[in-house]
Amino acid sequence: MSEQEASFPKLTIRELFHPPLQDRRSFIKMMVIGGLTITVGGVVIPRLRFGVAHAESPQFSMILVDFNKCTGCRTCETVCGQYNHKAVVNGEQLLGLGNPYLSNIRVYSFNPDVDVPIVCVMCRDNPCIEACPVEEDEDGRRALYRDPKTLAIKNDPERCITCGACAEACRTQRVEAIVPNPKTNRPERMCTLCDGDPQCVKYCPYGALDHIVGGYIGGSHYGLPAEKIAKELIERWYGVKLGKGGARG
Amino acid sequence: MKSLSGYHGVVLDVDLSSGKINRKEIDPKDFRNFIGGRGLGIKLLWDALRKPGVDPLSPENPLLLMPGAFSGFPLPSASRTCVVTKSPITTPKKSKHKHASTITYSNMGGFFGPEIRFAGYDGIMVRGSADRPVYLFIDDDRVEIRKAQKFWGMGTDEFDRAFIDELGDRRIRSCYIGPAGENLVPYACIINTTARAAGRGGTGCVMGSKNLKAVAVRGSRQPDVAMHKRFLELLEESRKGFEGTPSTENWRRYGTGSALIWASDIGAQAVKNYREGTYIHADKIGGVAARRKIWQRDFACFVCPLACKKSGRAPLGPYAGIVHDGPEYETGTMLGANLLIDDMEGMMKAIWHGDDFGLDIISVGNVIGFLMEAYDKGLIDLDVLDGIDLKWGNVDAVIQMLHKIAHREGIGEKASKGVHYLAEEIGRESHKFAAHCKGHSLAAWNCHYRPTQALCYVTANRGACHLNGHSAEDQNSTALVDSTGVCLFAHRGYRENALADIMEAITTREWSSEEYSKAGERIYNLEKSFNFREGFRREDDVIADRFFEEPLTIGRRKGAVLDRGQFEEMMNAYYAERGWDSKTTQPSKDRLKALGLDFV
Repeated sequence: MSEQEASFPKLTIRELFHPPLQDRRSFIKMMVIGGLTITVGGVVIPRLRFGVAHAESPQFSMILVDFNKCTGCRTCETVCGQYNHKAVVNGEQLLGLGNPYLSNIRVYSFNPDVDVPIVCVMCRDNPCIEACPVEEDEDGRRALYRDPKTLAIKNDPERCITCGACAEACRTQRVEAIVPNPKTNRPERMCTLCDGDPQCVKYCPYGALDHIVGGYIGGSHYGLPAEKIAKELIERWYGVKLGKGGARG
Repeated sequence: MKSLSGYHGVVLDVDLSSGKINRKEIDPKDFRNFIGGRGLGIKLLWDALRKPGVDPLSPENPLLLMPGAFSGFPLPSASRTCVVTKSPITTPKKSKHKHASTITYSNMGGFFGPEIRFAGYDGIMVRGSADRPVYLFIDDDRVEIRKAQKFWGMGTDEFDRAFIDELGDRRIRSCYIGPAGENLVPYACIINTTARAAGRGGTGCVMGSKNLKAVAVRGSRQPDVAMHKRFLELLEESRKGFEGTPSTENWRRYGTGSALIWASDIGAQAVKNYREGTYIHADKIGGVAARRKIWQRDFACFVCPLACKKSGRAPLGPYAGIVHDGPEYETGTMLGANLLIDDMEGMMKAIWHGDDFGLDIISVGNVIGFLMEAYDKGLIDLDVLDGIDLKWGNVDAVIQMLHKIAHREGIGEKASKGVHYLAEEIGRESHKFAAHCKGHSLAAWNCHYRPTQALCYVTANRGACHLNGHSAEDQNSTALVDSTGVCLFAHRGYRENALADIMEAITTREWSSEEYSKAGERIYNLEKSFNFREGFRREDDVIADRFFEEPLTIGRRKGAVLDRGQFEEMMNAYYAERGWDSKTTQPSKDRLKALGLDFV
């Protein structure tokens, strides 16, 4: 592992927006394109691929949701479950059967009709890792750390003390994508990016998900909880306030 | 008992009278022979009701919530839940059994059926009756009967939101009834996930008779498959089959709302209480207009690439602020064209009320159309209608009627019993335009120029049904699709024999297409045998005189009318093909035996 990879989790916010020189120009370019075309819950989010992953250094990437296109069908949940929970059949490792309970991406449904897929937004300031009280090992890793290849968040079950601080940080500061397992309290549902080819993006029948490589929307701006996103969308689409006393009927 | 691959082998059996909750093991033979969903439902109903004439609203009548054999797998559009029970609305012309009625099955999309399978069950059977309002909560092995007093009386829309607040998890799936079901309107429906309805046959009435407001399910499990690799191949192939086809595009854009225009164009729509087949204002209430004026978004059922459900709002006018699906073909015809309503926003409001009350929009649109015609012809006056001015096209009067019917007040009490009852009450040959079969209302398709549409209605085992199929072969095939849990609209996206191949991959039983089609015939014949035992005969396989006596006066099929001789001939041929006696419609012993229905 190169030094750069190992040190990634330690980047401060300032460093984030001033990435190493070789990447900086393309990063800024991406941010400009991204800024022009992407608004959260905006009108149109074209299927864009930002940049190309460098072979030598891992590229930051994330899954972006277009709420305007999502129909709430939950195909994403099933393919996530299939890929990330494989089945061993006669000694051969195969895709699983896609139990949505095992999925890392989760669609939350509202009335009036709005569906909000929630998945780890890969916050660069990673509040989940910051919250982990486990001491760093020689690689600079806590019990929650970034996968050196994909930069996705991973849990080390050997070192995890199951305190739930990471999930709590995600719940209070971001999207509540990472949750404690009801039995073990170990964090789960961290997006794995499916080794660089996210299945949810590939199989979404409506093109509502994109894999953005290199670009970055900003965890604290983009990564809102489902309730908050739904509230805004319901107001905008249906002119109705969510919750009690909604002007219905 | 070792269960078959692809199934949990268990139906959750809840007795609301005693509070007993039981995991009922299912004989693997029943899965093989009846598959799941509608098929397994009729088998369980047959086993539960061993004699004819059981009162559908008595505690003995089970309410079966049946996911299909494909439910819970990520196969495209395998989202349906079939509700099976003994119908509270159908009735034979004569029978020695007091409460004689047909079976009913009604199919709803959404996410409920798959969740039942995720919870570890191949179905839910609710028996008995609670002494006060309850709801059923299922979380894998945790099953509780909980108090629902505070929800009683709530409309389905408000309840849908309040129930989520109560349960505290948006991932829980539920189905429920509205005031119509609570008040035992015989054509009350069950609704799940914001207005996806098991509309037909009075399933909501049976649920209401059990004091059961709702069933909530959450699960973490999944059945296994026998041939894993083969299953994955078929899954991949099935997904691809839907990609970019014109049919997929059409469903996504207009849902069934596109049919509002084309059915009218070809003279097949129910217009003015089935008097006509073409509505000159169909374009004002159709999918194209709705897309322009109302719809905001498309919504899909579990793993469905079609997204035929729409959601929108009325932006302007007196009905501004209404948020709902807007027109589908059935709702848009039954509360639109059939009542000569061309005000889309007003119609949308009426549909919203119908769903909120938990009424079957098809039946209630039919009943109101009948009353409008009777009023128009002077057979009834304003007094009979409690002062509601039910003129053709009066949408506000329709909304008032919906309220009356859901609460069974005044005229609503009579109207709640259906058109066959109203025709008897009113007399004066009004039965000629009472569009029903066996007491169950016709749906949004006319049959003046299509004798097979009439056959579809009169031979359907749940009383008039537009989805039954226009020939014995189609009917067997429909029974099968309903048993797999695949959506009838979407199953055409699968290649030929794909469903049989998938059954094989799931269960390892060899499913030749012949074997597969035989299962459909078996299911259909068991349903028929149930009805025959109740006392339904050939004289019950009839349809309103209107279709034989009053030719269409407008549209492309102007002049079209059914011919009685031709119709009877077609029916005789149908019974012969089925192996049923043409005088009584009794299925022959030989045929039943060949289908493995010796126990009938």
